[in-house]
Amino acid sequence: MNATRRQFVACGSAALAGMAAKGERRIAGSFVNDAFAAGHRIRDRAPVSPALREERIPVVIVGGGIAGLSAAWRLQKRGFRDFVLLEMNGQAGGNARSGENEVSAYPWAAHYVPVPGPKAILVRELFEELGVLRDGVWNERYLCFSPQERLFLYGKWQEGIEPSIGLTRQDRDRFQKLEDLFAAFRNTGSFTIPMELGLERSPRELDRISFAEWLRQQGIDSRPIVWYMNYCCRDDYGALAADTSAWAGVHYFSSRAAEEKGPLTWPEGNAWITRQLLQRVGSFVRTGQMVRRIERQGSRYRVLTDGARFVADAVIYAAPTFLASYLIQDFGPLQHFEYSPWLTANLTLERAPRGASTSERAWDNVVAYSPTLGYVDATHQTLRTQVDRTVWTFYWALSEGSPAANRRLLLEKDWSYWSEAILHDLERVHPDIRACVSRIDIMRMGHAMARPAVGSIFDPQRRALSQAHGRLLFANSDLSGLSIFEEAQFRGVQAAEKALASLGRT
Amino acid sequence: MGLLLFISVFLISACGLIYELVAGTLASYLVGDSVFQFSTIIGCYLFSMGIGSALSRYIHRGLVHRFIWIELMIGLIGGFSSALLFLAFAYTQAFALLMYFIVTVIGVLVGLEIPLLMRIVRERFDFRDAVAHVLTFDYIGALAASLLFPIILVPKLGLVRSAMLFGIVNAGVALWSTELFAAQLGARRLLRGMSILVLAVLLAGMLEAKRITAVAEDNIYADEIIFARDTRYQHIVLTRFKDDLRLFLNSHLQFSSRDEYRYHESLVHPGLSAVPAPRRVLVLGGGDGLALREILKYPQIETVTLVDLDPEMTRLFSTNPMLTALNRRSFLSPKVHVVNADAFPWIDADPNSFDFIVVDFPDPTNYALGKLYTTAFYRAVARHLSQQGLLVVQSTSPMFARDSFWCIDATLRQAGLKTYPYHVYVPSFGEWGFVLAGLRDYTTPKSLPPGLRFLSVATLPTLFQFPPDMAAIPMPANTLNDQVLVRAYDKDWKDISH
Repeated sequence: MNATRRQFVACGSAALAGMAAKGERRIAGSFVNDAFAAGHRIRDRAPVSPALREERIPVVIVGGGIAGLSAAWRLQKRGFRDFVLLEMNGQAGGNARSGENEVSAYPWAAHYVPVPGPKAILVRELFEELGVLRDGVWNERYLCFSPQERLFLYGKWQEGIEPSIGLTRQDRDRFQKLEDLFAAFRNTGSFTIPMELGLERSPRELDRISFAEWLRQQGIDSRPIVWYMNYCCRDDYGALAADTSAWAGVHYFSSRAAEEKGPLTWPEGNAWITRQLLQRVGSFVRTGQMVRRIERQGSRYRVLTDGARFVADAVIYAAPTFLASYLIQDFGPLQHFEYSPWLTANLTLERAPRGASTSERAWDNVVAYSPTLGYVDATHQTLRTQVDRTVWTFYWALSEGSPAANRRLLLEKDWSYWSEAILHDLERVHPDIRACVSRIDIMRMGHAMARPAVGSIFDPQRRALSQAHGRLLFANSDLSGLSIFEEAQFRGVQAAEKALASLGRT
Repeated sequence: MGLLLFISVFLISACGLIYELVAGTLASYLVGDSVFQFSTIIGCYLFSMGIGSALSRYIHRGLVHRFIWIELMIGLIGGFSSALLFLAFAYTQAFALLMYFIVTVIGVLVGLEIPLLMRIVRERFDFRDAVAHVLTFDYIGALAASLLFPIILVPKLGLVRSAMLFGIVNAGVALWSTELFAAQLGARRLLRGMSILVLAVLLAGMLEAKRITAVAEDNIYADEIIFARDTRYQHIVLTRFKDDLRLFLNSHLQFSSRDEYRYHESLVHPGLSAVPAPRRVLVLGGGDGLALREILKYPQIETVTLVDLDPEMTRLFSTNPMLTALNRRSFLSPKVHVVNADAFPWIDADPNSFDFIVVDFPDPTNYALGKLYTTAFYRAVARHLSQQGLLVVQSTSPMFARDSFWCIDATLRQAGLKTYPYHVYVPSFGEWGFVLAGLRDYTTPKSLPPGLRFLSVATLPTLFQFPPDMAAIPMPANTLNDQVLVRAYDKDWKDISH
């Protein structure tokens, strides 16, 4: 026994200190991917650094989200290679970006694509190219595994997010009535994806009232249904039903007819598609290049970044549309472009929570009557039978109150405020969540997605930008007002085709 | 003095109610029908309290002395009530009898408490005040106990330790009363000694509580448990009764040594004997090494790869003498290579092909296991089949889980394989099913390895015949995105148990 008593005591105290530290383990984490500093430079029209070099290039794509990448994908598929794509962030993908740690890859925003219907020709074309669809059969490994979704309602988990437990006969009747109404709209064939295909034939009057108002007119007043309708609007549009155009609300339910139990998803979400696209067009992409100014120069366009100037015959503007007012010379103010602020968080869990309510872990987990949207399990798509550590992506559209006020809130409150709010929300269903989580990274998005507010779908400005021809082309799901993969891809490909046409290449 | 006294009232009242709640909850857990249990227990308890109150008039002298004895008895009986009832349920037929007996005894003793206390305090307080105060604290104690019990005690301590904790409170009140009423007590030393003894016994009980529940749980298994371990992946239990050794994984029976040869001969030989010149064999699951034992009966086989998730399982079956006797030391064969890995990612990554593949997983009781019964998995497995190769899948019971069995068959066919379903009778399991599958046609083999106890060449074709009550039914295939099998399995076995 060589250890002296002093050493023994020291060891003991150290061990005790270690135990204490373990007992009060702090949850690590920070804000990530903050973009508002760059955004505010654009808003405040900060001076542009002088160009040190000039490049002559036939086509410039501004923005490397799904729309911009899809434009590049199309150009390259047409054999056109004289273009660059300028992306302000260090990582392309926009809302289809991801992160990765030692546990799993995980999405930062968009995390799935519904199994596309027959009209989504471009989506099917891409998925055939990527091996997701082969000989008319969807690759089982990319379809969301069972069990897909669950809802915590009345103190227990139910399968599926549409409330199905504790409904009164009246609730059921109302649900049935809504289903019939949506089916009737679906059968008109005018609620399509891409929305552009059926828009002109669709009932324009729906865009003049809110979805909440429309539901009231149909006599839909039951609490679980109203909650569910609001949940769907918050989930897809970041807005309450009262702030959503009835047209968009109906589109959500009437545009899809499932041919296969889906959706398509990957651990890193839609960043999987981003990665596949980058494998094809990555050599054209320049990251960390924030476009500061787009000006006319004779029949051409001058695209200025801090330190460089691109002179292009055509520009595909695939960045968020609202920035056009700040970036493009002589571009007037936009009226009907409202954006929803969001917060997403990735939580690293060292073990699964042990709740009082047992239910198998699902992919998408929603708590009824919570202001948040719940969480998606990044390791759900694993082929392993045994999963200990995992990553949850927590979604929260700040939809109560005005977007401007919520943006201020996003900026004002610190990381611990938001992580505490998230844990508090999860604690209701997972009482031991704090003991499971080791890290919370939070991404704040002031303008996460265009909001399909009342009047926005048929807004003349939006229609004009969608139909623009010539050499300045707009491409973003903002033009549809529906922030989904299919719309972004469609707008990107359309713009690429128009750009080629304007250059005399078809 | 007054306040301390009323705190005692508060505590003993809480204790009394806790024992009643423990009995009610335990009976509901173990026997079911909580309305009946709670109703009869409350009735019995209150009635017994009435008896206690009535009996109190026969106590004339030494009120404090008797009060302390009563506290110690309640502490001891109440404290151990939960543990006793658990053991009674596991080991005797007399659970209900013992339960009502215990409830009655505690009820009588608790019924004595308050009248005695009132008479004790009558000497110091105005009678009107005494009644008001004692009853007030009595009812407050009941409220505290009724809230504490479901919110903190049951979730944090469990029933056994909750009862013991309140036994300690009773004994504590007894010890404290020897101080409180020192003036009225003659022989204090004995009472204090007894109080300390009861406290010690209950404290020890609390520390040992875990073992008591484990002993009680033992009896959920019919036979003596000779090995039990929680591994990272599962709960392994081995039981033995005379020469019958049984393995349970997460409480599901995996084999009984008396008839496992029927299962394992049927799992391996109908397929393997039909493969010409098999050299390489793969076993997915099967960490007990019993399928290996059958496979090693073919001398021409060069390598057998066994993939099982749980290293503790394969280690146990390679080292424990009783188990290696059963699997004939199959894990020690130089031909056998053990890989401890999750089967699906492993098979995706492995480049080798095999002449025979045994898929022997636990039944698809949940979505995690269900992934190993999907078209995606069988497609991945089929890619490893050599040209003449075959694979066999343990496919649960075509009798008890008919939908599930035929769903597995449909899934294999959907994955592009030809299937040959068959079934055997294994007494400890009942009718059990397997599906042979391959890219080629199959006919039953004309020879089998020597020394089989169950299979013969002559009876082999009969395994492939299904009587009407197990005959094929159309089922959809099980896929990763729509695990119909897990739902079907759940329903099949629920239907059986009702």
